[in-house]
This record gives sequence, structure tokens and C-alpha cells, in this order.
Amino acid sequence: MGHRWDFASVLDNHEALLAGAAGTLRLFAICLALGLALGLLVGLARSARSAWIRLPAGAFVEFFRNTPVLVQILWFYFALPILLPFEVGKLAAAALGISLNSAAFSGEIFRGGIQSIEPGQWEGARAIGMTPAQAMRRVILPQAVRRMLPALTNRAIEIFKMTTLASAIAYVELLQQGRLIASLNFNPIEAYTAIAILFFCCLWPLVRLTYFLERRLARSD
Amino acid sequence: MYRWDFAPVLAHADLLAAGLLNTLRVTGTALVVGVALGLALALLRLSRRRLASWPAGFVIEVFRTTPPLVQLFWFYFALPLVAGIEMTPFMAAATTFSIQSAAFFAEVFRAGIASVERGQWEAARAIGMTRPQALRRVVLPQAVKRMIPAFMERAIELMKTTTLVATISYADLLYAANEISQRSFRPLEAFTVAALAYFVVIFAASQAARRVERRLAASGDSTVR
Repeated sequence: MGHRWDFASVLDNHEALLAGAAGTLRLFAICLALGLALGLLVGLARSARSAWIRLPAGAFVEFFRNTPVLVQILWFYFALPILLPFEVGKLAAAALGISLNSAAFSGEIFRGGIQSIEPGQWEGARAIGMTPAQAMRRVILPQAVRRMLPALTNRAIEIFKMTTLASAIAYVELLQQGRLIASLNFNPIEAYTAIAILFFCCLWPLVRLTYFLERRLARSD
Repeated sequence: MYRWDFAPVLAHADLLAAGLLNTLRVTGTALVVGVALGLALALLRLSRRRLASWPAGFVIEVFRTTPPLVQLFWFYFALPLVAGIEMTPFMAAATTFSIQSAAFFAEVFRAGIASVERGQWEAARAIGMTRPQALRRVVLPQAVKRMIPAFMERAIELMKTTTLVATISYADLLYAANEISQRSFRPLEAFTVAALAYFVVIFAASQAARRVERRLAASGDSTVR
């Protein structure tokens, strides 16, 4: 245990870390926006009356929930370009894998949230002349989203953690930069510890927020 | 139009089978150690002594809020230097996923134990059981039954997480697929077969979990998440 910790060698490379942080945040933002938007579509499709819409959405959810994200990312990076006439970049492959995976998971959250709203709300909205789309947008979703908030922040935390998987295809994000620093300065202990601390500091506030939302929801319902 | 040809990939079916076996080996090890360690962490966290509950809470939060791949790299590349020991990819993977799933299982155990009514504790204590006896004979058996769905969901998550070991060159199913894609120059077929293999195994496990959950719901017991 006689190791002398030397974090200065990590901080000397703060430019590399900043580039990594930018890559992580870019991937996180894309996947969060795409994952939630697609998830809402999937959730709506799964509660549709027509089996032609419901069943494909169900198959999509089952497939992406029951395969590992890393397999999906590698598939989009190595396998998909063979079927397409153009290259699939590292960011695109990672974003596709993580977004579609989160769409499947958040689709289930949206479906559960929408189903948890009492049928009377629907009937009331329809009775005063709203179209189904209006009722969904103005009456059902605002109430459902409030109930889904803790589950959705949880999903955001999961997406943030998943962005590290992009390092498997050498996309420049925090973990990838940590690996670079470790191999340049022969300081894997400090480099990986610093990366772990960085992630913990980014995610801890989100975790506390989730706990807070859960408690508030438990009180109000 | 691309012509699919699975023959070169299926010629290496033995590699895939060995990979799947290694995946199951890591999952099984992490599951067994993770459950035992998770119970210990949960009991420590529920302890009235802060000296026991705070460190346990810290370990649980750290392992739940840092990405598993960062943990894996730390245990594989950094720990051997700190502790002066040799780490094989299997040991690193088993250690990481055991502790990581222990952190998640601890929360499941805690919710399960907390869901058992206070009266059960009081009655057990009233007929003269010590706290450990009450926990072992009265509270845990009831808590465990409620935890089964959350427990199975976690086990399935764990199996998906084990694909990360491919990044430190442990020959699991994903690593085997990568190997085959490089040997046969057929990445599309190799990764598609791997994805389907994972889907079949994990989908079967999910369906089993759903059936158990319905069965428990029918028997009238509440479950914890």
C-alpha cells in the first residue's frame, strides 16, 4: 500500500479531460433528447388501439430491452455500415445504440404513466370537445409526466453512465481520455480514480434530485 | 444488395458457445457473491450505529452512481498497482460486478426488510427472540418473498452488464463475436448472431421472471421495487 498518489500528472492533462467532458456531454444530450422523444412515440404506439401499431412497437421494446447496449453499439458501428452506402461515425453509432435502448426503456415509463391516469380524465376532456390528440397533450400528458418524473431522472442517470460505453469504439469521452492519460503518464491509479470521482460528482446531484422527487411524489399521492 | 452468409460465422459456433459459457460464469459468480455481500451491506446500512451504517451507505452510493465500465477499468488497471496483486480479466470482472450488484441488491434487501410490518418485529421480540433470531426466522423469510421480482430484474441487468468484460479481453460471448468478425470478415453476421444469442437467453429469463411475478401477485403478497 506504499503508493504515492500523484494527481498532478492527471491535472496536467486538463485539456484532454475537457475534450472528454465535452464529448460525454454532447453524447449525453443527444441520447437524452432522442431517447425521451422516441420513448414518448413508442409509449404512445404501445397504447394504440390498432394492433398494426401496437405489435411492432412491442417487438421493438422487447428486442432493445433484452439485448446488452454494448452489443447494440458495436452492431451499429461494425455491422450497420455494411448495409448502408455511407460510413457510420463513432458518435452516430454510440448515439444510435444508447438512444434506441433508452427509447425502449422510457417507452415503458411513458406507457405506465399514461395508463396510470384515470379514464375519467379522458372522458372529461373528450366531453368538452377536445380531439384525442388535444386531450393527450393538454390533459393526460401534463399529469402523467409529473408522476413519471422520478423514473425519468433515473433514466437520465442511466444514460449518463451508458455514455462510457462509447469508449469501446474509441469515441472521445471522459473514460476514453482517462485511458489515454493513463497510457501517456503510466498513472492508471490516479487517472481512473479521477474519472470515477468526476462521474460521481456529476451524478450525485441527479441522484439526490431523484430521491427528492420520489419523496415528494409519495407525499402528494 | 448485400448477400447474407452465416456459414463462416456458424463454422465458429464452438467459440460462441465457449463465450456464452464464460458470460454465464461471470454472471453466476457475481450473482452469488453479490447477493451475500448485498445482504451484509443492507444489514450494515440498517444498523443503528452510524459507524456501521455510513460506510455501508457510502459504498452503496458510490457503486450505484459511477459507470460500471469505469469501475471495471479501475479494478483491472489501477487496483493491481495499489494492492500489488495480479489481476486476471476474470478476477477483475468478478470483483467489479460482485460489488456493483451487491450495491444494487443491498437496496433491494433494504426495501424488502423495511416493507415487513413493525408488528412482526415486535411479536418476535415479545416471544423472546433476539434481534438476529427475529431477523433470520421471521423478517427475512417474508422479505425475501417480496423481493423476488426486483431480484430477478437485477440478475437480468447484471447479465447484460457483463458484456463490458469484452473490453478487457475476457473471452465472453461479445468478445467471441468480435474475434469471429475479424477472422471471417463478416462483422454483420457475427454481431447479428451475438445480438440474437443474447436476446434468446435474456428474453427467456425475462419471461420466466414475469411468470414468477404474476404468480406472486396472484398469491396476494405485495412486492418491492
